[in-house]
Amino acid sequence: MTELVVIGAGLAGLIAATRAAQAGHQVKIVAKGFGATHWHAGSIDLLGYFPNETIAIQRPLDAMRDVARVQPQHPYALLSDAQITDALKNFLALTREIGLPYVGAIQDGDNLWLPSPVGAARPTFLAPHAQRAGDLTRAEPMLIVGLRGMRDFYPELIAENLGKQGHPARAAFLPLDLITDRRDITTVQLAYALDDPARRARLASELKKLAQAGERIGVIGPNSVPGIRLTNALCNHLRQLGARVDVNMDVIAFRAEGDRVLWIESEASGRPLKHRAEKFLLATGGILGGGINTDHTGKIRETIFDMPLVAPRDRGQWFRARFFDPAGHPIFRAGIPVNREFQPVDANGARVFANVWAAGSTLAHCDPILERALEGIAITTGSAAACFAGQK
Amino acid sequence: MHTASWHSVGMTLDECIKCNICTAYCPVAAVTEKFPGPKYAGPQAQRFRESGQLKSPDLSVDYCSACRVCNEVCPSGVKIAEINARAKAQIVAERGIPLRNWFFGRNEILGMIGNLAPQIANLGFHNPFSRLMAEKILGVARHAPIPHWSTRGSFASWFNRTPRLKSENKVVYFHGCSTNYYEPEVGQAAVAVLEHLGYEAIVPPQNCCGLPMLNNGEFPAAEKLYRSNLAKLLPYADRGYPIVGTSVSCVLVLREEASEMLDIENDQTRRFKNALWDLSEWLRDLHEQGKLDTNFRELKMILPYHVSCQARAHRMGRPSLDVMTLIPGLDVREGNAKCCGLAGTYGYKSEKYEIAMKVGADAFRFVRAQGDDARMVTSDSEICRWQLQHGTQKLGRAPIEILAAAYGLYDLDQRRLNTVALQKSSL
Repeated sequence: MTELVVIGAGLAGLIAATRAAQAGHQVKIVAKGFGATHWHAGSIDLLGYFPNETIAIQRPLDAMRDVARVQPQHPYALLSDAQITDALKNFLALTREIGLPYVGAIQDGDNLWLPSPVGAARPTFLAPHAQRAGDLTRAEPMLIVGLRGMRDFYPELIAENLGKQGHPARAAFLPLDLITDRRDITTVQLAYALDDPARRARLASELKKLAQAGERIGVIGPNSVPGIRLTNALCNHLRQLGARVDVNMDVIAFRAEGDRVLWIESEASGRPLKHRAEKFLLATGGILGGGINTDHTGKIRETIFDMPLVAPRDRGQWFRARFFDPAGHPIFRAGIPVNREFQPVDANGARVFANVWAAGSTLAHCDPILERALEGIAITTGSAAACFAGQK
Repeated sequence: MHTASWHSVGMTLDECIKCNICTAYCPVAAVTEKFPGPKYAGPQAQRFRESGQLKSPDLSVDYCSACRVCNEVCPSGVKIAEINARAKAQIVAERGIPLRNWFFGRNEILGMIGNLAPQIANLGFHNPFSRLMAEKILGVARHAPIPHWSTRGSFASWFNRTPRLKSENKVVYFHGCSTNYYEPEVGQAAVAVLEHLGYEAIVPPQNCCGLPMLNNGEFPAAEKLYRSNLAKLLPYADRGYPIVGTSVSCVLVLREEASEMLDIENDQTRRFKNALWDLSEWLRDLHEQGKLDTNFRELKMILPYHVSCQARAHRMGRPSLDVMTLIPGLDVREGNAKCCGLAGTYGYKSEKYEIAMKVGADAFRFVRAQGDDARMVTSDSEICRWQLQHGTQKLGRAPIEILAAAYGLYDLDQRRLNTVALQKSSL
């Protein structure tokens, strides 16, 4: 019998499932598809900005205590210091174990600064070991190398922007046919191509010719090879722990009796597939991840259990007038309100189901992208929710 | 004519947000530069295939293996594999079909002909010279694991020859071409298990599900086959009999792919669909109702289980794994390779054989990694089993053969029913 079904295979779902499986529970992930892990940079943003502030946060662990003061309903405000450190330490140990070690100043509590794909300085807390050369607090000049004809990566733009911020950088190009015969290539295909040692050697030798003494080199752009690696490694690790990971499962129905969910049902080629479990953990994402959906009338719904939501009342309140308003847009804060044990609650604060927990971007009262807290919220709340679910 | 199903495939095109997750997971695009990736060949190129377009502008979609991994990982529900299949059909409609692909579409007729004199047919085709000629003249890959015709006669002839258990509880068995002509043992194991559980197996007249034709873009011919099966089997569905199959890809075609791709969803196809089961899925359901005899004998072996892409495309979880884990002593190990590479008739084509072998490398590696003690490998699709056997030299066995062995009905090495099973059926 499955003890815990985790709905969603983003970072929150993967971490929650891993924690539960590590604790010896029988776990199954049921997910519609993969999500934000395949687009973000593979680094772990904990907290980069407060709403309405344009100055980035230097010490996110300290700032998270302020969040609790200023926004008492924010997911971070529901977590103790111990829960946060436990989640981050567990993540570091886990990534070492699965062969994708992360670096970061977890002891000092400082954010790392890495260049974004347009050359902005991006605050993040943990980064894959392979990205450490991009640390902008280091003084060595940077050489940003693109492949001519490759879309979505513009070395001149990156170098210029970095230069304006006081980080010396210059741009250079190599021909695309150094690595591939394709006329058009995605970063993932490029990564596959570079799995071939001969092509990797060709690239390395050309890079050596381009680089001057003391320079560090930045190559290739967004669309997340590190995120995909992390997802695949976590999925493999879960399978080794005896958990099931099933994607392409679109949950279309559920059955509850009293205050307990008995099963969820996913769409299939024949009859729908029932997933029975003692406990369920929602990690389906927010508006962007598909955990929360809207229709043309402005109605906002949680897609699995139709949970009560905190959301703007009508469509006219979804957006502010300015696209880049530092306060963010109210619709992106829509989500599921939860209690301190990460169980969804209704407007009166009463628990909706006794055996359902929620984690990640599906939670209300946060704007993970604006706050640059997407992965941090996923890891800390995923970890905490799984621990609470395990205790019951 | 735009019916609901045409709509449901075509309209998903607009759900594509160009995220490229499909490209990141496409096992073919990962190993060859001849295929740009599902997003490019599918939703993107589809915009240039609108009606009125004289000729399809890009033929690279031919390198899509139809494994459906793209559908599986798409977060937006775009039916990429179906868009690609329709694009292939459009190319065939415009330019005609290569002789080789025409042959591949008619594996049932090939099975029938070879079955007349299997020894001679095997000798005639499966010798180095004939295979070389087939490669040079037709483009059929010389080393590809094309099955041998069974020298034990067809499954249907065995079924009709031997006395069968009669029971109130009846189950219709869809064997598919491969069981009928190449691996009748799989069907024998299925019938033995059904009868062991007290069910009467019915094997009505049936024909090829049409998958090889769908994969090779011959939609009108595939539709004939689908409609013929519908006519032959729907009466059983309407009597309330479950129709079970051991070939996971045939069941997928009958249950979903054909009606969806050919745009013929109606009340009849829905009734048919609701009666169809993958046999392991049906057994798992039986177990969930507490009706499956779990009195298995111990099978002490390590068994790598490759999850075929066709099984995943069902979205039914891992029924074979669920059922096989009930067998004491059996150490089933689930692999996570995306595809064995062969994908229907894809890996049989000389220009695609190498690609198929590279795609299969992950699956081969997983199977080999289970060590020399693992002598056998299992998968729900016969195609995968043949490819894995080809790539790893281990013996391919169907999950139902494993189960039949665990009931003491079947010898996995000899691939024969035990005398127990034979006596039982003659009661």
